[in-house]
Amino acid sequence: MVGGGSFEFEGLQTIGIVCLVCMFLKLMHLLGLINFTDEDSSESDLELSTVRHQPEGLDQLQAQTKFTKKELQSLYRGFKNECPSGLVDEETFKMIYSQFFPQGDATTYAHFLFNAFDIDRTGSIRFEDFVIGLSVLLRGSVHEKLKWAFNLYDINKDGYITKEEMLAIMKSIYDMMGNYTYPSVREDTPFEHVEKFFQKMDRNQDGVVTIDEFMETCQKDENIMSSMQLFENVI
Amino acid sequence: MAAGVAAWLPFARAAAIGWMPVASAPMPLAPREKRRTQDGFIIINVSGTKFQTWRSTLERYPDTLLGSTEKDFFFNEEINEYFFDRDPDIFRHILNFYRTGKLHYPRHECISAYDEELSFFGIIPEIIGDCCYEEYKDRRRENAERIQDDADDENNKEGVMPDMTLRQSMWRAFENPHTSTLALVFYYVTGFFIAVSVIANVVETVPCRASPGMIKDLPCGERYALAFFCLDTACVMIFTVEYLLRLIAAPSRYRFVRSVMSIIDVVAIMPYYIGLVMTDNEDVSGAFVTLRVFRVFRIFKFSRHSQGLRILGYTLKSCASELGFLLFSLTMAIIIFATVMFYAEKGSTASKFTSIPAAFWYTIVTMTTLGYGDMVPKTIVGKIVGSVCSLSGVLVIALPVPVIVSNFSRIYHQNQRADKRRAQKASKEAGQAFLSKTNLSFEKEHHHLLHCLEKTTNHEFVDEETYEKNCMEVSSVNPPGSRCSSISSQHGLTSTCCSRRNKKTFRLPNSNMSGSHAGSLQELSTIQIRERPLISNSRSSLNAKMEDTVQRNSEHPYVTSAIISIRTPPVTSPEGNNTSDSPDYSQRNIVKVSAL
Repeated sequence: MVGGGSFEFEGLQTIGIVCLVCMFLKLMHLLGLINFTDEDSSESDLELSTVRHQPEGLDQLQAQTKFTKKELQSLYRGFKNECPSGLVDEETFKMIYSQFFPQGDATTYAHFLFNAFDIDRTGSIRFEDFVIGLSVLLRGSVHEKLKWAFNLYDINKDGYITKEEMLAIMKSIYDMMGNYTYPSVREDTPFEHVEKFFQKMDRNQDGVVTIDEFMETCQKDENIMSSMQLFENVI
Repeated sequence: MAAGVAAWLPFARAAAIGWMPVASAPMPLAPREKRRTQDGFIIINVSGTKFQTWRSTLERYPDTLLGSTEKDFFFNEEINEYFFDRDPDIFRHILNFYRTGKLHYPRHECISAYDEELSFFGIIPEIIGDCCYEEYKDRRRENAERIQDDADDENNKEGVMPDMTLRQSMWRAFENPHTSTLALVFYYVTGFFIAVSVIANVVETVPCRASPGMIKDLPCGERYALAFFCLDTACVMIFTVEYLLRLIAAPSRYRFVRSVMSIIDVVAIMPYYIGLVMTDNEDVSGAFVTLRVFRVFRIFKFSRHSQGLRILGYTLKSCASELGFLLFSLTMAIIIFATVMFYAEKGSTASKFTSIPAAFWYTIVTMTTLGYGDMVPKTIVGKIVGSVCSLSGVLVIALPVPVIVSNFSRIYHQNQRADKRRAQKASKEAGQAFLSKTNLSFEKEHHHLLHCLEKTTNHEFVDEETYEKNCMEVSSVNPPGSRCSSISSQHGLTSTCCSRRNKKTFRLPNSNMSGSHAGSLQELSTIQIRERPLISNSRSSLNAKMEDTVQRNSEHPYVTSAIISIRTPPVTSPEGNNTSDSPDYSQRNIVKVSAL
C-alpha cells in the first residue's frame, strides 16, 4: 500500500512537473520569445519603393526613336499612369500583360517579352527601353522587326535559336491560349509546331537557326512579310 | 479592365509581332482605326471652378453624362465651355473617377448631396471603391433610418386615422401607450399587476410567525394560502386578458405568437393553469413545484415597459457567439485543471475530489478567485496545481475580459462588415458591369489581338460549355471531319469567343470583314454577327452548320459569296499550313473580301 502510494505520488509529481513545464513554454511562446513553427512575420517591411526613375529628355528620345513629340508625350502619360515610379519590374509587367489574355497564362511569355525589352538586363524596364522597343516594332523597317523577333526567340542571346529555346517560347505561346480551345492543345502540339518551324527555317539542318537563316526564310515568306506590316497604325 | 491598362494595349499589340514568324496561319486584318483626332482638351466650368481634362479621359465611360453626347446640352457657346451649375467640391471626386477609374466618397460630405450629384452625372454608387464603400453604405443606412424615423413620427403625430379598424387601433394602443389615455391606463395597470405578482411570489417564501399551535415557522405562502391564491388568480386573469387582446389585435397573428414577448407571456401564466388542472397527486407535485419557478418569468414582462431592458436583451443576443466562445475556452481550462487536480489528489486519504466532475466545482471556484474553501487539495502536487489554477484563473478571466470585450466588439463589427459586403456583392456586380462598358475601339483592337494569337497557334478560344461538348465529341467525330468542321466553322467560332465577351459589348465586327470599306457592308456584317451568338454551337453535323449560315446569308448577297469563297480552299488542303498555294489563296481571298 505504501509502495503503491509512493509510486502514485511520484507519478503525480511527474505529471505536475510536466504540466508546469508545458505552461511555462506556452507562456514563452505567447510572449513571442520562442517560435514553435515557421511563422513568417507578416509585419516585415513594407518595401518602400524609393527607386524612381526619370526618363531622358524629350528631345533625346525623339532623336533615338521614330516617334513624334506628341506621340512620345501620350506614350509617357500612359506609361506613367500605370507605373508612377517610372520603372516597370517584371511582376508588374507580367500582371499588365496577363490582363489582355484572360483565358490563359501569359506569365511565361511575358517573361520572355520582358527580357526582350530589357536590353541592358537591369531587371526593370525604363521608359527609354519601352519606347525604343516600341519604335522598332511600330516604325522600324522589316529587317529591324525581324531582328527584334529573333532576339525574342533567342533566350540566352547567343545568336542561335536552339530547339529547346524555341520549345520554351512555343509552350509559353500555347499557355496563353488556356485550357478551353478548339481543337484542344495536346502535349506534343508545341513540339510539333517547333519541328515545323525548324524544318522551314533551318537551312543547313544543323539543329540551330542563325540570324541569317531566319532573315532569309522570313523574307521569302509572303505571309510573314505582310503580317509584319499589320500593326503600323497602332499608335 | 482598368482604364490604365487600356493604355498598354498598343504595346501588347505591337509585341504581337513576336508571334508572326511562328504563326501557323495567316493573320487577320487589323480593325480599321478611325483616325484618332489628336486628343484635345475639354474645359468644364462647374459654378465658376474650371476643370480641364483630355477628351479621351471622359470618353472612357460612355454611359455617363460626361462621357456621352448628353454633355452637349450644357455647352455654352459664349464662353466655349461646358457649364454645370453644381457643386464643384463633389465634382472633383466625380472627375477623379474618370481619371483613375476609382470613385471615392469624401467623409465630410453629406450623403444625400453626394447621392444627388452622382445621379445627376449618371454614375451609379455601386462602383465606389472598396476603401470608401463601407463608409458610404453605413452613412446611407443611417440616413435611411433617419428618414424612416421621421416618417414614423409623422404617422404617429397624425392621430387616429379615420379609416382604421378597431383591430388596428387596438394594436396601436398596445404598441404605443402614449397615443391615448385608455392605452396609458392599461399600460400602467398591467405594470402594476406585474409588480404585485412578482412581489407576491417573493413574499410567499418568507417565513411568517407561526400561528398559535404550530411549532416551527411557516412560510407566508402556506400560512395565508388563500390570500395569495386570490392575488395570483387576479394577476393571472389580467395577464390572460391582456394576452388574448394582443393576440386579437396583432396584424400578423402567426408572427405575434412566435415573438419573444408573447412566449414570455405564455410561460408566465401557464404554471397557474397547469396547477389548476393538476390534482393533488404525489408524483406530479414535484414537477408542479418546479413549474412555479417559471412564475418569475413575469418579471421579464417589464421589458415591454422598459426600453433599456430591451436593448440589453438585444445586445446579449447579438454578442451570443462571442460569449459562447468565451464560455468554450473557459470550459476547456476547467476540464484540464479538474482532470489534473483529480489525479493529483487521488492518492490522498479522505479526499473531497471524488470524481472529475466533483473537481469542476473546485476549479471554477478557484479560477474565479472565489475560493470558498469547501474543497482544498492536500497533497503537494495538488497544491501546486491548485496554485497554478488560481494564477491562471486570474489571467484567464480577470485580465483579458475588458480586452476581450472590446476585441470582440471590433471583430463583431468586422464580421458584420464582411457579411454586409457579401450581401452587397450582388449590387457590386451591377457596378462592375457598368464599369466595363469601355470603348468600342478598345474592344475591337483587343479582339483583333486575341484573334492573332488564335491564328498563330491555329487553335481557337472556346468557352467552357463548347469545350465540354467537344471533349465528348472528339471520340465520335473522325479527325478529318473535325478538322474540316473546325476551319469551316471558324467564322462561327470567331464570334463565339467574342460572343462570350459579347455579353457586355454588343456589336463586334468579324475581323475578316473589318477590312471592308463600304459602310453598308460593315453594317451587314455586324448585323450578321449579332445573330451568330444565337446559333447553338452544336458541331455534330458539318452540313447543318453550312446550311445554317448559308440560309442566314440569303438576305445579304455580298456576304454570301464572300463566305462561300473562303470556305472552299481549307476543305481541300489537309493541314492548311505550309503548302505554299493555300496561304496565298486564302490571302487573296482575304484581300477579295476587303475589295467587296
